[in-house]
Amino acid sequence: MSIRVNPGFIKELTKYGAREWNACFHCGNCTAVCSLTERGILFPRKEIRAIQMGLTEKLASSPEPWLCYYCGDCSENCPRDANPGEIMMSLRRYLTSIYDWTGMAARLYKSYAAHLWFMIFLFLAVIAAFVVFSRIPDSPEVKLNTFAPVHIISLLDHILLIFLGSFLITNIINMYVKIIIKDKTVKIPVWLYFKEAWNAIFQFATQWNITKCQRNNWYWFGHWFLFTGYILMFVMVIFFLDWFQTEEIHPFYHPQRILGYYVTAGFLFATIYFMIGRYRKKKEIFKYSHHSDWIFVVLLFLLAFTGIFIHIFRVNGMALPTYYAYVLHLAVEVPMVVTFVAFSKWSHLAYRPLAIYFAHLKKSARALQEKNKIEFVTQ
Amino acid sequence: MSGKRLTGVYFAVYSNGSECEIDIDQLIEYTRQIPGIGIIWNGDLKQTMQADFIVDEIKKHNLDRIVLAGDEPGIVKPLFSKAMVLSGKNPEDIVLAGFNEYSIKSNKDLDRAKAIIYCAALGVPFENVALPSEAEVHTDTLVIGGGIAGIQASLEIANSDHKVYLVEKTGTIGGHMAMFDKTFPTLDCAACILTPKMVEVGQHTNIELMTYCEVIGVEGVPGNYKVRILKKARRVDLADCIGCGICSEKCPAKTVSEFDAGITLRTAIYIPFPQAVPNKYLIDAASCIYVQKGKCGVCVKVCPPNCINLDEKDQEVEINVGNIIVSTGFKVFDAKRVENLGYGKYPNVVTSLEFERLVNAAGPTEGNIKFRSKDKKENWIFSPESDEPKSVALIHCVGSRDENYNKYCSRVCCMYSLKLAHLVKEKIPEAEVYEYFIDMRAFGKGYEEFYERIKEEGVHIIRGRTAKIEERDDQLILRSEDILAGKLIEQKVDMAILAVGLEPREDAEELSKMLGIKQGEQGWFVEANSVDDTVGTFTGGITIAGVCQGPKDIPDAVAQGSAAASRVLQSIIKGKVKKSIKDISLEQIETKVNQYTNIMEGIS
Repeated sequence: MSIRVNPGFIKELTKYGAREWNACFHCGNCTAVCSLTERGILFPRKEIRAIQMGLTEKLASSPEPWLCYYCGDCSENCPRDANPGEIMMSLRRYLTSIYDWTGMAARLYKSYAAHLWFMIFLFLAVIAAFVVFSRIPDSPEVKLNTFAPVHIISLLDHILLIFLGSFLITNIINMYVKIIIKDKTVKIPVWLYFKEAWNAIFQFATQWNITKCQRNNWYWFGHWFLFTGYILMFVMVIFFLDWFQTEEIHPFYHPQRILGYYVTAGFLFATIYFMIGRYRKKKEIFKYSHHSDWIFVVLLFLLAFTGIFIHIFRVNGMALPTYYAYVLHLAVEVPMVVTFVAFSKWSHLAYRPLAIYFAHLKKSARALQEKNKIEFVTQ
Repeated sequence: MSGKRLTGVYFAVYSNGSECEIDIDQLIEYTRQIPGIGIIWNGDLKQTMQADFIVDEIKKHNLDRIVLAGDEPGIVKPLFSKAMVLSGKNPEDIVLAGFNEYSIKSNKDLDRAKAIIYCAALGVPFENVALPSEAEVHTDTLVIGGGIAGIQASLEIANSDHKVYLVEKTGTIGGHMAMFDKTFPTLDCAACILTPKMVEVGQHTNIELMTYCEVIGVEGVPGNYKVRILKKARRVDLADCIGCGICSEKCPAKTVSEFDAGITLRTAIYIPFPQAVPNKYLIDAASCIYVQKGKCGVCVKVCPPNCINLDEKDQEVEINVGNIIVSTGFKVFDAKRVENLGYGKYPNVVTSLEFERLVNAAGPTEGNIKFRSKDKKENWIFSPESDEPKSVALIHCVGSRDENYNKYCSRVCCMYSLKLAHLVKEKIPEAEVYEYFIDMRAFGKGYEEFYERIKEEGVHIIRGRTAKIEERDDQLILRSEDILAGKLIEQKVDMAILAVGLEPREDAEELSKMLGIKQGEQGWFVEANSVDDTVGTFTGGITIAGVCQGPKDIPDAVAQGSAAASRVLQSIIKGKVKKSIKDISLEQIETKVNQYTNIMEGIS
C-alpha cells in the first residue's frame, strides 16, 4: 500500500489550533506517560507522525484522538515542548469537521468571526420571532404558556431535534465509514459489536476514564455533573415539556423544581470551573483556548443564568421580566444548540463514546487476527 | 563620488528576539553615517524568497556590493548570490557581518556589532583590524581544574620546561575520569590510562600541584595576572604524611564518599581513592567530629609520623601567572529532578555514575553487579552478599535533550550506556539488557563499530524514551513506546540505570565573573569561535579546555587540553600575549579601517 505524503496538511491543521507540531522528535514519551494508552491503542505520537506526513486518511480512520481527555501529562513531560495534548485537541476539532459532510463545522472552527456572526444572527432571529409572533398577555399574573404556548415550543423543539439530529446521525455514519469501513486492515466480526458495547455505554454514562488521568477529580465531577444535567434537560425539554413548563408554581421539594435545580447547579458549577480554569491557564487542559471553547462555555453559563432569572421572576409573579428572560433564554439556547450539537464542541458527546467503542472494536479485532495468524503458522 | 562602488546593507535577524537582543534601529542609525552606502534595508528576509525582488533592488540602487548583517546572515546568502549573478554583478561581493560568530547577543555588544558592520561595509576583514595589541607575558601558567583536560594541559606545558600551577578543588587530581571503570569504545581500563598521567603530574618538577585549593580572586592584565588562591586546611601535613591509613581505620566519623558517587562510606579523615595524587590523607571539616564539636582527635593520637594538625586554618596565597587555562569540568545531572523515573524512591534505580563505581573492581562489591539492599541498620547499600540482577535497563537522555531540564545533548551518554551494557553482559552473561534511546549518537572514531558490537552481544536496543518507572513486587516496570515496532511496552527489569547528562558546575558563574569570560545560554564557557577557536576566549591570556566549554568525551577533552597548552606555549615562546579583543574600542577599529582603505585607494 502506497502512502501519499501531504506536507501542506499542517497548514490546514494549524487553523484548528495545532502548534509546535514540528518540534516532535518521536521519543514516544507522550504515549508512554499517558494513563489511557494501552496495547493496541496508541496516541499521541502516532497521530503526530501522521500529521507531520499529512496522512489524512490515516487520521480520519483513527478514533484515538477522542480517547484523550487532555490531562496534560504528555505536554508537561514532553522533552520538546511539542504540546501533544493540544495537538490531540486540535485533531478532535479537525475530525469533527471532516465527519461533518456539510462543511459547517470547518467554517465555524476556522473562523471566529463566522462563528460569532452566525450566533448573533440566530440570537436576533429568535428575538425577532418572538416580536413578530408572540403577544404579551394582558394579565398582571405570569402567563408563560400564553406568552409562549407549550405545544408550539415543544413542536419547534421537535423540529429542531429532527433537523439537528439528522445532521448528527449522518455525521456519525460518516465517522463510522471513515473509521471502520474504510480501514481495510481490520475486519470486525459481528459478535464483537455486542461484546464491546458495554464498555462504550459505561464510558458514556460515567466518563470514568477521566478519573484515570485527571489528577484533580474536580474536573471529572464538573464534566460529569454538566453531562448529566444536560441529558436530564434534554429529556425534559423534548419529552416532558408540558410537565416542565407549567403555570403552576410547585413547592420547592417538587420533583420538577428539584430537577431544575440539579440541572442549573451542574451547569453553573461546570461552566464557572471551566471559565476560571481557562482564565488562569494553570492546568494543561485550560492553557490554550480556541474560540469554540470560550463561546461554548460562556453560552452554557448564560443558559443557566437566564434560566435562573426566569425562575426567580416567575416565582415572584413578575410577569414582564419573566417573558423577557424567557426570550433571552431561548435566544441563547438556539444558537448554542444549532452551532454546537452537530457541528462543534458539543458533538463530542456522541463522538467520544463511539470512538471508544470503535477503538476497542478495532483493537480486539486486530488481536484476533494476530492470534489466527499465529495459529495458522503453527499448524 | 560617481566612481565609488555603492554598498547595500541588509539586516536579517532570525532568532525572534529570543537570543539576539540587539537594537537594530541603533545599528541602522550608525550604518547611515558610513560612506558609500546605497541602501539600508531592514525587514523580513527569508531563504524561500524570490531573487527577483533583490535583483530589482540592486538595479534600482545601483549596488555593487552587498553586506548581510544579522545573527546568522549566511542563511540568505545563496539568495543574494543568485540575485547578484542575475543582475550581472560579482557574487563574490557579498560580505557577511554575522553577530553570532562574535558572540554578539545583546545591546552590551552594540559597539562590536557596529565595528563588524563598519568593516564589512568598507570591505576590510574584521580580523585584520581587530587585532588586539600584545603585552609582555609572565612565563608561569595557572591551570584551574585537575581533571583529564587540566592534567593534559599541565603536562604539555610542564614538559616544555615551563612552570605550571595546577589548582584542584578536591583532595586529588583525576576528576571524573578517575571514577570511570572503562573507556569507550576500546574498553580500556580508565585508571590504567589516567593514573600514570596523574603520577607524572605529581612528580613533575615544573608542576606545582595545589590540591584542596580554590581560586578566589584574579586581578591584573593579560600576561600578568595576580591570582589569589585559598589553600583550604587539609589538617594533614602533605610533606610528612606517609599514607599509612591508620588514622582512617580509627576515625569514628563516617560520611558518603564523593569518589564512589555516594554508594559507599568514607571516614572524615580520608584519601579520596587509593591511587590519589597526592597520595596523602586529608580531613573533611564538615564531617570531622573534632572540627564540628571540638572533641575526638583519635587520628592525632594514632598517627605514626604525627603529621595531623586539627587546628590548621585556611591560608591564602598569591601567585603571578601570564596565562590561565580553565578546565573545571562539569557536574552530573541530578536524576531526582525527573520524578517519573523514581530515582531516590526506588533503590534499584541508579545513576550511571553510581553504576560505574559499582562495576569497578575497587567498588563496594568488588566489581560484581548486585542489588542495592538493606543492611542491618536499614540503610540501602550495595553489599557483596546480595543477589545479582537478571535484567538491567539503561535509559538514555536523562536530563538531556529535554526542554524541561537541559536542551542540549550531553554527547557522552549514548556511548557510555553502550559501554555499561557491555559491562553488564560481561559480568552477568545470562542477564537481559535493555537500552532505551531516542537517537543513537555514535559519532566518533570506532563508535559506530562499538554500537554494532553491542548489538551483536544480544543487548535489546529499543528506540523509545522511558516515560515512567514504577515498582511492583520488587521489580521495576518501565513504560515506554517502542517507536520502531509501534508498540507500547511495559518491561519488567530488576535494575534501571539512568544515563544522566552533564551540567555546568554551580561555581562556573562565579569563576566566569572572576576571569571575565562569558557563559553561554546553558552555562558552559563561551569559546572565541565555535568552529576554529574552541579553546580561546575573548579575554587575553585565558583559554578553556574540557567539558567546561561544552559536553565532550575523554579524547576530545584531552585534545582540547593539548590545544589550550599549545596556545599558552605560543605566547610563552613569543614572550607576548594577546590582549583581549573586547578592549579595542569602536573608534580604534574605525581608525584602522580608514587607514587601511586609504592605503588601498593609494595603491589603486
